[in-house]
Amino acid sequence: MRVLLVEDEPRLLRSLAQALREEGYAVDTADAGDDGLYKAENYDYDAIVLDIMLPRLDGWGVLDRLRQRKQTPVLMLTARDATRDRVRGLDTGADDYLVKPFDLSELLARLRALIRRAAGQARSNVEVRDVVIDTRSRVVTRAGHPVALTAREYAILEYLALHRGEVVTRTALYEHLFDESDDTLSNLVDVHVFSIRKKLGAELIATRRGQGYCIES
Amino acid sequence: MFTKSIRWRMQLWLAFLLACILSGFGITAYQLHRTNQFSQIDEELERRVAALGGDVRRLPPFGLPPGRPPFDLERTTNADAFGFGEPPGHHPPDGGPGPGSRPPRRPGRDSKMLRGWPDDLWESREIRLSARTFSLFDQTETNDFYFAIWSRGGTLLRHSTNAPAGLPLPAREEADTRVHTRMRDANREAFQFTEIGDCVLAGRSIAADVQALRRYAWLLAAVGGAVLALGCGGGWLLASRALRPVEEISAAASRISAGNLSERINVTDTDNELGRLAGVLNSTFARLEAAFAQQKQFTADASHELRTPIAVLISEAQTALARERSAAEYRGTVEGCLETAQQMRRLTQSLLELARYDAGQEPIERRPVDLAEHARACVELIGPLARARGVQIHCDLALVEILGDADRLDQVLTNLLANAVHHNKDHGEVQVATRAQQGFAVVTVADTGPGISADDLPHVFERFYRADKSRARADERSGLGLAICKAIVDAHGGTIEVSSQPGAGATFVVQLPR
Repeated sequence: MRVLLVEDEPRLLRSLAQALREEGYAVDTADAGDDGLYKAENYDYDAIVLDIMLPRLDGWGVLDRLRQRKQTPVLMLTARDATRDRVRGLDTGADDYLVKPFDLSELLARLRALIRRAAGQARSNVEVRDVVIDTRSRVVTRAGHPVALTAREYAILEYLALHRGEVVTRTALYEHLFDESDDTLSNLVDVHVFSIRKKLGAELIATRRGQGYCIES
Repeated sequence: MFTKSIRWRMQLWLAFLLACILSGFGITAYQLHRTNQFSQIDEELERRVAALGGDVRRLPPFGLPPGRPPFDLERTTNADAFGFGEPPGHHPPDGGPGPGSRPPRRPGRDSKMLRGWPDDLWESREIRLSARTFSLFDQTETNDFYFAIWSRGGTLLRHSTNAPAGLPLPAREEADTRVHTRMRDANREAFQFTEIGDCVLAGRSIAADVQALRRYAWLLAAVGGAVLALGCGGGWLLASRALRPVEEISAAASRISAGNLSERINVTDTDNELGRLAGVLNSTFARLEAAFAQQKQFTADASHELRTPIAVLISEAQTALARERSAAEYRGTVEGCLETAQQMRRLTQSLLELARYDAGQEPIERRPVDLAEHARACVELIGPLARARGVQIHCDLALVEILGDADRLDQVLTNLLANAVHHNKDHGEVQVATRAQQGFAVVTVADTGPGISADDLPHVFERFYRADKSRARADERSGLGLAICKAIVDAHGGTIEVSSQPGAGATFVVQLPR
């Protein structure tokens, strides 16, 4: 999952980005509104964490302009907790709202729920045949036995599972799983898919030649 | 209770005053009318009494035997003195014509003369009325005048037919011959005693007059009542009209006190007293609302400013604790947390300071302070920061001493200088000047930075106001510096002002009373 984090407080941006990366997200960051809007419009993020008080263009402005073109799920982050502000945020098109100071675990849970909902998935457990993916604890079991996956492998499996029945291109996988700071050469999608098939069974992920990968629904 | 209501009180007072005035008028009018009526009646009666008296005093008394002259008769010159000038048609029935002239009468001599008559004759003598007197009692013309004549012994010598039965003889006081009046039941009577004690009385029933007076009184009461009712009705209308704006004001004020601070009194007529009052109240409400809004904004800003570093602290700590880290990573996190905590400490200190100024609790020392010397010290303090940015500070410091709090004034100077350096362009200049001017010490700090836009200029002393909405947090500026400067200068009784031309820098001028 690839998320965009827009926040002007540098320390908060740094620690949040680190926490999200450690959760397996690909994280892009922006510390100003216009910068954030540019990235949000030019990449297909799975979710955007957007602060309201931003230099140059505030969170409302970013959200307003983004909604004219995209429906990327947006989690608003702000230190203002007046109901008026929250209502305005949700009315402008925010999908969720979190008031500073917040617990990291709450931010992560809301982000997961946001991404799940955007993919049309209500539950946090995804079951494909005898494979169960627990997106909350990031644990994958096969026939009741835990299977150890690397962060990359898990990310690819989760993304494909959340988009069951859809053919996901290598480019899309690449775009959603690796952030701007990743080194392309070291992250060949095919290698990771090969490794997942080895651990969870070859029939789990189908290859559509010339198009991409798919987990049948 | 309705006596608490101004309108009711006004109404009651109005009714009371109106009732007083109307009853005063009414009573006066009634009394005048009544007096007039009675004096008219009395005048009529007195005229008749006088005529009767004249007849009774006529000499010699009619009906006494002519052949028996009383002693002292030689003084009675003419026995026919009764008949004088009566028109032929009006010959009284019991009077006889008498030629001759009326004798000159002098009461003293007459009474002496009359007393000479024996009592029995005197008491039974006949009284003849002159035609004129008779006409005065003519019942076909003068409705109901009656008369009665008593001789001095109390014998009723003669009375008119319409005289009430059992008419009592009036009591005589001394030798009083004046005309008196009396009321007897519904009769008004005038009487007079002659010199020798005969009594004549003329009377009239005044029942009709009393009735008319009573009607007049009722008429007055009715008119008075109508005027009172009209007056009270008019007063009620006037009071309602006059009090309607008051009610509007009170309604608006209660809506405002219920929390709707944007409510205003609808002023239609601004020229009258209530319009002006409404205007004054409206401007008070506006100031109140502005103060509330400012306070609310300040609270929101303060909570925002405090929430952000707390969010950083929590986020940093939770990220660090999410998994095992190297010592260097932990160190970095702890350093970050410390830095954030210190930023919070500065912020809370500033907030507390402002709160104390707001509450008026911050004591301001009043000691002699040389502003030039302190400005020089502050310039030295800022020196490293200025050099780092290549900014040159020029001083034009004239000795000027004021009574003030040295530490706080240093805070103002340092803050203005730091601002001037911070908002300057690289290799710009800062001008610092102190001078005395008409009882004030004036400190000027001017920079050559980009200046402040006209939109931002009125707000720079507001708390947390930042000209560029981006909070350049890296430089650890809280947005409270100028607000604190203003609070300190205000506490000294001075003023702080800023002027700026975009692109030509900004100039802060502090005036402090010496």
